[in-house]
Order: sequence, then structure tokens, then C-alpha cells
Amino acid sequence: MKKSILKDRKLYMISITISITIWFLLSRIINNEIIFPTIMSTYTSLIDIIMSPNFLIIIGYSILRSLLGFIISLLLALVIGILSSMFKSVYYLVSPVTRFLNSVPTIAIIILALIWLNSEMVPMFVGFVMVFPILYETVLKAIINTEKSIIEMANIYKVDKLTVIKDIYIPSIFISLSNIFSSTLGINLKMVIAGEVLSQPKYAIGSNLQLQRMYLNTSGVFAWILIILLIAKLFEYILEGIKCLCIKSKI
Amino acid sequence: MYQVKNINKNYNDLKVLEDISVDFPKNQTTCILGPSGCGKTTLLNILVGTTNKDGGEVIGFEEDISFVFQEDRLIPWKNVSSNIELVLKGKMDKEQIETTIDKYLKLVNLGEYKYFYPKDLSGGMRQRISILRAFAYPSKLLIMDEPFKSLDINNKQILVDFFKELRTMESRTCIIVTHDIDEALALGHRIVILSDKPTKVKRVIELNECKDDFINLREVIEKDVTKCSYKENII
Repeated sequence: MKKSILKDRKLYMISITISITIWFLLSRIINNEIIFPTIMSTYTSLIDIIMSPNFLIIIGYSILRSLLGFIISLLLALVIGILSSMFKSVYYLVSPVTRFLNSVPTIAIIILALIWLNSEMVPMFVGFVMVFPILYETVLKAIINTEKSIIEMANIYKVDKLTVIKDIYIPSIFISLSNIFSSTLGINLKMVIAGEVLSQPKYAIGSNLQLQRMYLNTSGVFAWILIILLIAKLFEYILEGIKCLCIKSKI
Repeated sequence: MYQVKNINKNYNDLKVLEDISVDFPKNQTTCILGPSGCGKTTLLNILVGTTNKDGGEVIGFEEDISFVFQEDRLIPWKNVSSNIELVLKGKMDKEQIETTIDKYLKLVNLGEYKYFYPKDLSGGMRQRISILRAFAYPSKLLIMDEPFKSLDINNKQILVDFFKELRTMESRTCIIVTHDIDEALALGHRIVILSDKPTKVKRVIELNECKDDFINLREVIEKDVTKCSYKENII
């Protein structure tokens, strides 16, 4: 086991080294800072961005938008998912909405959001539009697929409804959700930043990406991409930590 | 006395159960023996009320019932203690639940498995916990639906002994459905042999009365059951 983890880490390091080498070679071949910046110029831009006085406020606002949007999506998915599984009328009411969100191109919804909402709300709404259908479907499927045999057992032993919900349905939902938490949180972050690029709130990673693009400062764009990758990784670690805590406290 | 009288059950045009009448004497084990697919599980489901009958009477099954299924039906995210606790909630207070779980686990020397999760237990061990859960549940009636079906021969013997051990400690009315003649002979005080579809009661054997003649009895039962299976194959 330990050997395999070490081997995986080794392979991971090799792949990172290869990527950096390709980056280095490509920047050398292209030899144009605007089209493809060098590692050195990206590093300089990264330091400049980190040292800028508003850096923490900028990433703080983006993370806040992302987390707030995600929590709203999650809560709504839980409530509506549970209601849909209980009442067919709710399911049929929500069904066209989720189908609409799933099939209409995201950019079309972003454009509508830009018309309807203020610049602070657009990024969160864009994240919600992408993530809510996934979370909702997961909640609904978890309830529907909760093993019928276990529910039958609980019914025969006359376990009361509240205990069945608390001890069987809810853990089942959270087990299903925990498998997609990391990916949906990543998608949400990406969509929030895309929304920020278009709506241009005052403090936002997206707004700064757009600013770098306008100044044709490609190394700045690269530096912001690296920061976004780090934030995504941070989310992943926090989620893993929460998961470990949950397992330890036997939830 | 638990009783069923003239139970009938059809699935569309297929007559599954026809005039099934059986008595289940208190504190005795009644084995229901019949060929595979003859409707034994349907009969059990009618007894516990999860399947509706088309006719007849079910008497005495309104009270709390312990049930052991073909599979263990343990909740994967709950440990052994919590799995037993789930069915005891509402039946007794928290302290009593804890005492009951400890008592039963100690009774069969499984105390060390109290905090084990189902995934950490073997199939045989999980089924043992499922039987233990049924005994820990405060009921006078225990129904078992082919509880040893999915086990290998060694585990089966261990579980049969385990069940007998628990039964001697606590007298309960047990109804066991099986298609295994040896299992019925080993566990039952009475054996009810069912025919093939439309399923009727073919014969009721009181094992207390014919203890010495097990070999002959086995042959008689085997003939009865294989006849049903033979008929089933021809159809």
C-alpha cells in the first residue's frame, strides 16, 4: 500500500516535471511573451499579484462567492430533492427546470443573468446554474436508490419514520453527495470565475483575469490560472479533511 | 397460537397459494418446507403484511415480529451495535438498549465485534448479527426466510448451532422457511411440507413424535419434495 502511494507520487512528480519542461520548451520555441509567456515572467507576475495590496481581498471575495453559491445550491438541492422524492407534483414541477438548465448553453443563461442581475450576483448565479442540477439529481437518485431491502427491514421491525429518515435516508444522501462534492465544488469555482470575467465585480479573480487580458499581459493570466489551481487544490484538501473527520466521528 | 386459515394468493392468472391453513404452536419451531419458487416467501410476506392476500385469515401476527432475511440486511454505515440499536429505538429507553445489546453480544461471545462495521465482517458473521438482531428485538415471534441459503456448508452448520443456542436461551415461536430437508429436520419441532403451484399444504409432520426414525422420515420428506420438483420440471 505504502509502496503504491510512493509510486503514485513518483509518477505525479514525473508528470509535473514533463509539463514544466514542455512549457519551458514551448515558450523558447514561440519566443513571444504575449502569445506564450516564459516560466520566469509568469513567476514575476505571480509575485507581483501576490504582493499587490488587494490580493487577499480579491481571492477572498471570489472564494466567498464560490462557497456561498455552492452552499445555496446544496441546500436547495437537498430540500427540493427530498420534496421531489416525497411528492410527485414537486418532481414534475422541477423536472422542466432542471432539463432546461441541463440543455440550454450556459453562455445563454449567463447573458440572461447579466441582464437581470447585478455584477455581484451574476457569478454566484452562473455557478448555481451549473451545479444545482447535478446536486439535485444526486440527492434524488440517492433517495430512490436507497436499498429497498433495508427500508423493508426497517418497516417489518416497525422502526419509526423519523429514525428511517435520520438513520437511513440522510446518510445515504450524504454518501452519494460526498462522491461528487470535490468535482462539483471545482466546477462551481470555474463557473463563478467565468461569471466574474463577464460581470466584472470590483473584487474578483475573473475581473483581474480580464484586466490582464486587456493589457495583453499573458504572464499575468498564467499567474492567475496558477492561483486558481491552488485554490481548487485547497478546496480538495479541506473536503478530504472534512470527510476524514466525518468517518472518524462515524457519521 | 398463531394461525393462517385458507390463504389464497394469485398473481394475475397464476394461482400461487391455495387454501393454505397452518397452525404455529407457541414456543415451537415450525419449518415450512417446499420446492424452490413454490411461494414460501410469498406466504411469509402475507404473514408480516408486506404482501396482500386474496383470501383467508391471518391470526395473531399483528404483534411485533422479528425477521431474519435471506441476506443480512445490515446497514453498511452503521456498526454492529448501531445496527441492533436501530430496531430497538422506540421499544425501550437508551440505557435499556445499551444493556440489551451488550447482553446479547456477550451471550454468544460476540462482544468484541460490537463496533465492527458490516464490511469488516464475513458473510457468516453478518448473518449471525442479523439473527442476533432478531433475538434482541422484543418480540414473541421470530420468522426466518431461508436464513442460511447464501452460506457455505461450514458457515451453515455454525449458524444452525448459533440459532439453536439462542433458542434454548430464549423460547420463542419460530417460523422458518427452507427448501433444505436437513435444515428443517435439525431445527424444527414441526415440518409443514408444501406442494408445488398452486401451493397447498401437503403434509404436516410432528418431529417430537417420531424422533427415532429420522432416516425414514428424511426419505418420506425427500419423496414429497422431489415429487413436487419433478412435476415442476415437467411443466
